[in-house]
Amino acid sequence: MKKPPQCACCGNKPAVGRGPYRRGFLSKLLALALGALALAVPAVVGLISALNPLRVKGQGGRFFRVTSLDALPEDGTPRRFPIIADRKDAWTLFPNQPIGSVFLRRTGPSEVKALAVICPHAGCFIDFDAKAGGFLCPCHMAHFDLDGKRTDEQSQSPRDMDPLEEVEIRDKRDVYVKFQRFQTGTPQRIVEA
Amino acid sequence: MRKLYYWLDDRTGALGALKAFREARVPGRACPCRAMPFLLVFAFLAQGITGLFMLMYYSPGAQSAWESVHHLQYDVTGGWILRAAHHYGGQAFLVLAGLYLVGMVLRGAYRAPREFVFWTAVLLVLVSLGSLLTGDLLAWDQNSQSSTLVRTKFLALLPGVGAGLFKLAAGGPDFGHLTLTRFLALHTIVMAGALAVLLALRAWFARRAAAMVQDEVRFFRPFWPTQFLINVGVCVLFLVVIGALVASHGVAGPERGVELGAPADATDFYAAARPEWAFMGLYGFSNLFPGELKLLPIFVIPGIVVVLLFLMPFIARLGVLGHALNVLVLLGLLAADAGLSWMVVVEDRANEHQQAALAEGRRDAERARELIALRGGIPVEGALTLLQEDPKAQGPKLFRQHCASCHAFVGGTDEDIPASEVSSPNLFGYGTRAWIAGWLDPDKIKSDDRFGKTAFRNGKMAQFVKDTFSDLEKEDEEERDLMVAALSAEAALPAQADLDKKDSERIAEGRDLLADCTDCHKYRKGGSLGTAPELTGYGSRDWTLAILANPAHPRFYGDRNDRMPIYAPTADDAKNVLSRRELELLTDWLRGQWVEP
Ligand code: FES
Repeated sequence: MKKPPQCACCGNKPAVGRGPYRRGFLSKLLALALGALALAVPAVVGLISALNPLRVKGQGGRFFRVTSLDALPEDGTPRRFPIIADRKDAWTLFPNQPIGSVFLRRTGPSEVKALAVICPHAGCFIDFDAKAGGFLCPCHMAHFDLDGKRTDEQSQSPRDMDPLEEVEIRDKRDVYVKFQRFQTGTPQRIVEA
Repeated sequence: MRKLYYWLDDRTGALGALKAFREARVPGRACPCRAMPFLLVFAFLAQGITGLFMLMYYSPGAQSAWESVHHLQYDVTGGWILRAAHHYGGQAFLVLAGLYLVGMVLRGAYRAPREFVFWTAVLLVLVSLGSLLTGDLLAWDQNSQSSTLVRTKFLALLPGVGAGLFKLAAGGPDFGHLTLTRFLALHTIVMAGALAVLLALRAWFARRAAAMVQDEVRFFRPFWPTQFLINVGVCVLFLVVIGALVASHGVAGPERGVELGAPADATDFYAAARPEWAFMGLYGFSNLFPGELKLLPIFVIPGIVVVLLFLMPFIARLGVLGHALNVLVLLGLLAADAGLSWMVVVEDRANEHQQAALAEGRRDAERARELIALRGGIPVEGALTLLQEDPKAQGPKLFRQHCASCHAFVGGTDEDIPASEVSSPNLFGYGTRAWIAGWLDPDKIKSDDRFGKTAFRNGKMAQFVKDTFSDLEKEDEEERDLMVAALSAEAALPAQADLDKKDSERIAEGRDLLADCTDCHKYRKGGSLGTAPELTGYGSRDWTLAILANPAHPRFYGDRNDRMPIYAPTADDAKNVLSRRELELLTDWLRGQWVEP
């Protein structure tokens, strides 16, 4: 019979000791814990980078010049305007891109109200429906009046349209809006970080 | 030879496995009804194979995902078949998993000792739904991006963790590159891996359960070859069905295979977005609930249904009644899903908004295809920019947004844009002879299509036209036609270039006649600005750009301008309502000036 090849490390020494081999509780525990830990290392390394998006902030909370006052019909018809800024998608920079939109509506000679276009329900873009004289979200058909109030008996939207409270008219003609986005789906209005 | 055999078996145990396979038994006669697990594995492998080859063509990234799919669909030989086979194959897998589950309940085969077999089947259905959901986004066309966005936003409904979960799924605060890379990893590794594990577990559990009832069943027949043959036959039949689906939109032309919509715009929302059929029932269901209670239809109730499914084997222990209850619940759920899906389809069909948005989406998709063909490729910024810089695609959108509150664009084509409340001229056919003729016709100039709803309804021009062109003699009519041809030639419309060239003599005659208009209008050397719009270059690109920028300029209406907004009073885009680029797009669209194949 051929001898089994020698192991360079232990030399295939027979196990010594009396009686049957004993598996100590401690070594079992240690084996399991170490095994789990070893697997956890690559998992944690991966997770750390996978969680990175939590740190990335949106572009809300700043004032943007949206348009000039003349662009707003005197009769108070709302118009949708893009918010133009540099947009960054992970590694790509898009200079001067629409990063969102707002509805502006003239409520006085130099008074402007702003509403977010994003539907509080699930984030579709709300349309202005000129025929109905109000707003309409095409995704689940939520209706709103000119002030953004819900008009359906049972609305798909958990709250009225989100107003952007801070609107400034600078130099008597430039409309600036503090752009903000809100969490969708909640009855309360929560500003998105 | 024999030696080789034994050597092989000794080292690998291959013969033993082969023997086990040959001796595997099925309870009772060979029957297609037992083919489902086999078919599930086959359908899964088919998805793996087509998926692998699709992956060789796919490039996740907001400016490359759609583009790479477009390449696969239209440039690669057989690419459309590959894509359609994977698309329908995935949906078929869901259907098969669902049928397997339902079949198990109807036959009572979910009861002890097959609980675990049943539970893996439930998980198979859920994971294949997840697989569809993650795979759908990857095409990155308008519908897949927008509908996935809505679904992902529903995560935000979960109290506390929702907002964070959304960011994790999307890879950031918005959809973009990282959403695609994430969904690709989920779809190709996580979902596919989970399905593979579940299929293996299912086989394992089914074996154990069979071993337990072995002695209760009297007749066992070999699996090989009859049942195997039947199984393979069923798989072939399955392939035929998939083949029919792949070919259901024809085998030639751009519509073949699976539709690829217009490229997604991460900063916009596709108004016609709807989920795939598999989620349509849930969509309809959630629509029954008011906004404040959305958590119920989207998470709580589906969660309860899943728990209920898991409990079915235990409910069945209550005896015949329990089993009957399970069957009833399951069939009820299916019926409700079908009913709700149907309701959505019916509602959408009757919904003008939805239909208009759909039609616009289709037009954009077609135009994107055209533009890519014309360019001979897609520029590095992506296909979306091609569309965004195209007058034919952007014109109607800009017009709807900025002009259609007063102007109509209606000429009896399917691209008509009615005004929300007509108060100014219909701009369909802008600058063409037919359109110009309307201005020199005493009936038409006062119609709603021209000055009817404006301050000029009873103005000098209307009066002049009435005095000059009413009840014309034959030769006067001819003179008017010459004037129309000459004025229309000022626009130099691309579509009329040949006609203008052919009629150059008549146009020259007409020009002389237009000298009559210089009492009010400036035309070439005659007349002066300040009383009425200039006729030199009337309707040309420059002229149109200028009047859109500032109709109250002395060259046009001056201080008599009637309600037409001043879109670009300054040279600085940042201070204007419409940018130079937008004015150009509108102008080129009005004048029919765009590239055509
Ligand atoms: S997203 Fe607006 S109603 Fe659902």
